[in-house]
Amino acid sequence: MFQLTATPSSALADEPVAIRATGLPPSKVVTLQASLKDEKGNLFQSRAFYRANKAGEIDLEQDPALGGDYVGVHSMGLFWSMKPTVAFQRLLKRDVMNSPFCITLDLYDSVCFKDSATVPPRVSQMVQRWFSGPGVQRKQIREGRVRGALFLPPGEGPFPGIIDLFGNIGGLVEFRASLLASSGFAVLALAYFAYEDLPEKLLEVDLEYFEEAASFLLSHPKIQRPGIGVISVSKGAEIGLAMACYLKQVVATVCINGCNMVVEVPLRYRDLVVPPILPALEYSQVHMSGAVSLQRCFGELLNKSNHQSVLPVEKAEGKILFIVGENDECIHSRAFAERAMDQLRSHGRSTGRMLAYPGAGHLIEPPYAPLCFWSWQHKLACPVVWGGDPVAHASTQEHVWGEIQKFFRQHLVKTTNKL
Amino acid sequence: MAQLTAAPLSALVDEPVHIRATGLTPSQLVCLRASLSDEKGNLFYSQAYYKASDTGEVDLEMDPSLGGDFVGVHPMGLFWSLKPETPLKRLMKRDVMNSPFQIQLKLCDPDVPITNRDSSTLTASLTLERWYVAPGVTRIEVKEGRLRGALFLPPGDNHFPGVIDLFGSGGGLIEFRAGLLASRGFATLALAYWGYDDLPRQLREVDIEYFEEAVNFLLRHPKVLGPGVGILSICKGAEIGLSMAINLKQISATVLINGPNFVISNPHVYRGEVSQPTPYSIELISSNALGFVAFHRVYEQTGDVDSQYFFPIEKAQGHFLFIVGEEDKNINSKCYAQQAIEQLRRNGKENWTLLSYPGAGHLIEPPYSPLCYASRIPYVHPNILWGGDVIPHAAAQEHSWKEIQKFLREHLISTRTSQL
Repeated sequence: MFQLTATPSSALADEPVAIRATGLPPSKVVTLQASLKDEKGNLFQSRAFYRANKAGEIDLEQDPALGGDYVGVHSMGLFWSMKPTVAFQRLLKRDVMNSPFCITLDLYDSVCFKDSATVPPRVSQMVQRWFSGPGVQRKQIREGRVRGALFLPPGEGPFPGIIDLFGNIGGLVEFRASLLASSGFAVLALAYFAYEDLPEKLLEVDLEYFEEAASFLLSHPKIQRPGIGVISVSKGAEIGLAMACYLKQVVATVCINGCNMVVEVPLRYRDLVVPPILPALEYSQVHMSGAVSLQRCFGELLNKSNHQSVLPVEKAEGKILFIVGENDECIHSRAFAERAMDQLRSHGRSTGRMLAYPGAGHLIEPPYAPLCFWSWQHKLACPVVWGGDPVAHASTQEHVWGEIQKFFRQHLVKTTNKL
Repeated sequence: MAQLTAAPLSALVDEPVHIRATGLTPSQLVCLRASLSDEKGNLFYSQAYYKASDTGEVDLEMDPSLGGDFVGVHPMGLFWSLKPETPLKRLMKRDVMNSPFQIQLKLCDPDVPITNRDSSTLTASLTLERWYVAPGVTRIEVKEGRLRGALFLPPGDNHFPGVIDLFGSGGGLIEFRAGLLASRGFATLALAYWGYDDLPRQLREVDIEYFEEAVNFLLRHPKVLGPGVGILSICKGAEIGLSMAINLKQISATVLINGPNFVISNPHVYRGEVSQPTPYSIELISSNALGFVAFHRVYEQTGDVDSQYFFPIEKAQGHFLFIVGEEDKNINSKCYAQQAIEQLRRNGKENWTLLSYPGAGHLIEPPYSPLCYASRIPYVHPNILWGGDVIPHAAAQEHSWKEIQKFLREHLISTRTSQL
């Protein structure tokens, strides 16, 4: 009697699931498949082949996958190795409050490696992955120019406040903010272009907009004073770093795979205009898939001594945590972070820390998120390679998530009110 | 006035082309883009970015590409780095006699391919013809007895060394390599063995007597030199080629590209003797980050290690040229060639040569063919990973094609009486 259990069957997306199968023929090689349809109906799948032991059992926490989308002992492998059936699609939850991602786990009693199995599964389980925990509240924000969504943990607070910034994807991306709120932080997912009445295209980074957002957050009764944090990735991380440099209210900043220079569009703050450096597109490289790696376009910037575009990290009063994926194919993340760290050191500042992860790509997300190796990027006519080696990227995401929360708890929470 | 030149404009696909741009401003950044539409309308593209010299010129034989589909000095890079617009399509010429592939070369601004801004002020372009047959090569439909295929004969009244050309993959009749080889002086029989005409729709067994018929057919032909013939084979074709070389005395020279030294999937039958296929572990396949599936581990417990499965290669009388792509992700080519060679050595035989190419993948084709990194095989799998790094793969194709011709000439054209 085939049985498949997944515990917990409903959980936050950053929580692990224990998957076990019992009642299998002894030593039989079987297929475990995970399938998910995103909110647009795009299918993502993964599969792995396991051999049952003599008692007819498989335990993903102990047993190795023999082949498939990953090899070896990886208890959450079916989640982070999911791939889109149509190339270049990125998995991204849009509605984070009202519905989870539903993942179907199927067990086949043979090795099924073609896209559509010719036999039905012997047993299936459904697993729900939520992006907001019980009691988390979402408030749509339209204050002054500020546009976004504020996620508040349950309870009276006050909670440490964080601004969450994504990159050139634009619009409003909420899933990371809602997950962080589920861990006790008040997080403002902040849009800055291509959303509501914000500019359709990012033509400049107006730091006063982000200052307004910081002030808004600090004026909220449920948010701790006097300082807030920023979590930011890619282009967002460049902006996050600028916020750390110029805005006193920013006391803890996480920059994931960002540049330490102003890139592509100018940065404005009051009277200051920082000119951008432009990526040299002639150094782009076409990957085997036809997607384009931009890493060397930005890498060339490092050879030029454009001091005027470099962000003055030594002016930052708060702490900065640089997260680097060493297999980032979009920007030469490690080089930029090291430049920033060198700049801090040369000014006698010890406010920076860098965590570099071999094998991790550009899109470092919360734990168990599938590696997005490449995807369409709306500014370009071709898909972009983000990079990453699946196994290393997955373990990076797990480790980074813990480090990010530790960092914010250490530098945002007042010593008398530890969470 | 920007100008683009390429010479020769019309040539065989295995011939290099010299591409130059002139009339640019000093140090101007340009993009060279190649595009091709195959016989089914599938588009293939490549691009490279160059910086003009002080005299406003770009010469692909000397100047490095800064980025794009390849980096560095690669005069033929735009050809072998062509990629399909629709992922997983393989470039393969079907009609080799009547039409060439047409490749359009365009000079444009560097950001056009990436951003699709069509504000390019550069307009130079030209069209190249790439042929699979030389003028005078004839193609004869072969439908004799059970045989199905196409015989390509070089021009002229001479006798030519005979070669049987065998592919693997999805069956059918693949002619492009035979047409090219005939253009280089060999009477080449592109031989189908399943999925073509009235041949079996699916390969059930490999009947070596069918291939023996092909050998005899070739040797009977008035334009074929004899007394032996050669084999040029890849993948499943190489598995069959090895089996032929062992069983058929008239095989003097066998080129085995990325093939196994044991029976895969279908039993081999010859005059009542049956060699069973080797057991495999399909659960050892693995997908890479893009979801392409590598099959090269499935014989890890059998064909990779256990000599009970190996072909008795020491019984073959002709010579072998093993060609191995070390980055082959479809079969464990390097291991199998080494096993076969070890077996020859142990039996005191020296009738082999090994060409092992680091960075080359499974589908080693004639020079300048685009690297096919992954593709579909109907009824087998939607996305099979062949492997290979584009630059070393291109170099392997150039080098091996010359070596293949040298090898076949050396062992098929004898100035002394035959040693068979």
